[in-house]
Amino acid sequence: MREALKITPTLTTMLGTPVTDMEGKLCGRVKDLAVATGADAGKIAGLVLKTRKGSKLVPATGLRPTPSGALELRDGAEILSLKGQEYIFLREDLLDRQIIDVHGRKVVRVNDVDLQWFEQGGLEDLRVREVEVGMRGAVRRLLQGALPAGALDSIARRFPARVIPWEFVDVIEVDPARRVRLNIEHERLAQLHPSDIADILEDLAPAEREAILTTLDEEVAAEALEEVEPKLQKSMMESLDSEVAAGIVEEMDPSAAADLLAELPESRSEAILEEMDPEERQEVEDLLVFREDSAAGRMTTEYVPVAKTATVADAIRALREFDGDIETITEIYLVDEARVLQGVVPLARLVLADAETRLDALADARFIACAASAHEQQVAELFDRYNLRALPVVDESGKLVGVVEADHVIAFLREGR
Amino acid sequence: MLKRWKIRVLLFLAVLGPGFITANVDNDPNGILTYSQAGAQYGYELLWTIIPITIALIVIQEMCARMGVVTGKGLSDLIREEFGLRVTVVVMILLVLVNFGNVIGEFAGAASSLELFHLSKYISVPIVAVLVWLLAVRGDYKKVEKIFLTASVFYIAYIIAGVLSEPSWHTALVATVKLPPRSVWKDGGYLFMVISVIGTTIAPWMQFYLQSSVVEKGVRAKDYAASRLDVIVGSIFTDVVAWFIIVACAATLWVHGMGSIQEASDAAVAMKPLAGPYAFLLFAFGLFNASFFAASVLPLSTAYVVCEGLGVESGIDKRFKEAPFFYWLYTILIAGGAAVVLIPRFPLVKWAIESQALNGVLLPLVIVLMLLLINRKDLMGKHTNSRWFNAIAWVTAVVVSILSVIWMVGQFRGHS
Repeated sequence: MREALKITPTLTTMLGTPVTDMEGKLCGRVKDLAVATGADAGKIAGLVLKTRKGSKLVPATGLRPTPSGALELRDGAEILSLKGQEYIFLREDLLDRQIIDVHGRKVVRVNDVDLQWFEQGGLEDLRVREVEVGMRGAVRRLLQGALPAGALDSIARRFPARVIPWEFVDVIEVDPARRVRLNIEHERLAQLHPSDIADILEDLAPAEREAILTTLDEEVAAEALEEVEPKLQKSMMESLDSEVAAGIVEEMDPSAAADLLAELPESRSEAILEEMDPEERQEVEDLLVFREDSAAGRMTTEYVPVAKTATVADAIRALREFDGDIETITEIYLVDEARVLQGVVPLARLVLADAETRLDALADARFIACAASAHEQQVAELFDRYNLRALPVVDESGKLVGVVEADHVIAFLREGR
Repeated sequence: MLKRWKIRVLLFLAVLGPGFITANVDNDPNGILTYSQAGAQYGYELLWTIIPITIALIVIQEMCARMGVVTGKGLSDLIREEFGLRVTVVVMILLVLVNFGNVIGEFAGAASSLELFHLSKYISVPIVAVLVWLLAVRGDYKKVEKIFLTASVFYIAYIIAGVLSEPSWHTALVATVKLPPRSVWKDGGYLFMVISVIGTTIAPWMQFYLQSSVVEKGVRAKDYAASRLDVIVGSIFTDVVAWFIIVACAATLWVHGMGSIQEASDAAVAMKPLAGPYAFLLFAFGLFNASFFAASVLPLSTAYVVCEGLGVESGIDKRFKEAPFFYWLYTILIAGGAAVVLIPRFPLVKWAIESQALNGVLLPLVIVLMLLLINRKDLMGKHTNSRWFNAIAWVTAVVVSILSVIWMVGQFRGHS
């Protein structure tokens, strides 16, 4: 028995293994491995046996590896039906499929699954250790059955292993109903940087993208979607249900949302706008009026304006109350009663000043702003010339209408290449 | 009226895309050589093959486009996911071998077409190889696609050459719709020529390339009609070009009893005194264009397809370190293909024949895998094949298999 344990048990070597009862009579062969969902998520629920009476599930603790490499049913081992419970099947759902490596932040294809026997209350139980995506798994798959297990294992070991620990594996399930039953929520994926999620989405097929986008929290989905390349953004938006799409668009930066909706066919963007919250909808609709290549078309309407008579403490309060994406804010804007732009205060200066200091004392004597109708090339030139991080946009009467941020400029400069 | 006509032309051009490009790359130097030989040796007697081949080509290519649109996955991805690693590895190895053979053919075509203009292959081939490599690594897909689409237009050169050669239109048209007399079948050479023409027109790499391009283009199921039109137009255009090549060679070389052609450029040389300098120029230019076009597409698509199937990192947007296997495979295919052509006295014709034989082994395998995939409800939903489609595709698979077996048996007999 020790001998049998020395060879790394993998899904490939396990499949097809005969299972006998205590008398050595063949009961069936291993067809698949079922992984539990819900409370026991990630644990192996049992081995799926192909028997004469159909597929049956046997918990790994009910089996004992024999020296010959076969498996033997222990006394009183339970043989369960597969019905009524939802499992992730390693061979069906994982082998040869694409999964997300949450740690390595990319999409990979599974070659094999490494397993491990371990002691649990005097019985041997089986667990999933890692997913093999490199040459070692591939060699094992290709040579399985052609060589004896020992020889195969020693050959496979000569190849470098590329493994993903089981806890970093994120399974993609396209069928929405099954996804709910399996309780796949992509929690770890959601913690990645939106740009990394966007890269992963770009690597997947449309149905898989949709599956992930609809599972993710709307806010996370929106941030990720903003980072996806425009062409793909468009096709993803078109395939989503308008209600779901509206939920995501609401969470997007209004300027990004407007850019995206402007790309969609009118009927589609109307349908999405219809489903949106009136307030967010108004913001986006205002932006939609502008030409896409103008300053107004590139700006966001999420910025922090304060009265020109305000103090640093007032500004900090305004920042706390700001409900947009706070990391994008680099400066705050001083406006008069008619919302005419009066001055700009960089955040750094705010941090260094006392709470009672009046903001107009901190503001630059001169500030750079541009007209709503300015062409995006002009905007880029201003950013370059004055080393700006953000550029306020004003209408004909000098009223502040929005802000172009440096990342918007980088985005359209790269687009135009 | 004029405006409506303009809109129609624009709509038509907007549709052109992956299907049209794929079908045109298919008329590569190996194809041109085969069609030229067919016309030079048998005159108009092979023209009847064009219509059935076109139908089979459309059916098979349409299946790929449909699978690409519905599943959003490449053919190698699907084979991997549904048939496992072993089948994938076998298909990929065969594909690399076959495509390497084709790449050599492309470089040989480029070399011989430029030799017509007195440019030594030792200069032209390395330049073409470097250009091809850079085109993919430095350009982006959108631009590359536009270049290819423009290049497709140059195939019209062959149609013009066909007209310039003053063929007997009546005989040619009749031969297109009428089966030849039964006596020709007794000629083993004729049978082999039929097989070569089929083999060169329906090549396995096309299925992989087309499906990946459709996926990359992001066509959605509701816009599928446009993609289908693209495939149909492309296949017909390709075979019209093939028809004109056969006719041009029949009207000149065959009429004057000059049947033996060893290289694709031979046809151009032989045509010069018979059909005038323009036909020569068009043939030579068409050949160079075809070679360059195919040499740009094949190595890249092979690298993509193999990496996708094996689950290795791929893409020209990745850096060399991130996707080493992809870049090595791509580079070796180009450098290797170019190097082989530069070996003095390399038996190119023999090599071309042997790579065609592998083509014949791989094609039925690919068609059968495709048929198994496309008829799966869980993958394709309501877009599975209709009964008629299945019938035509199965017949194609069976006919191609039988023909390649006959062909290979013939080859072995010929060698021994």
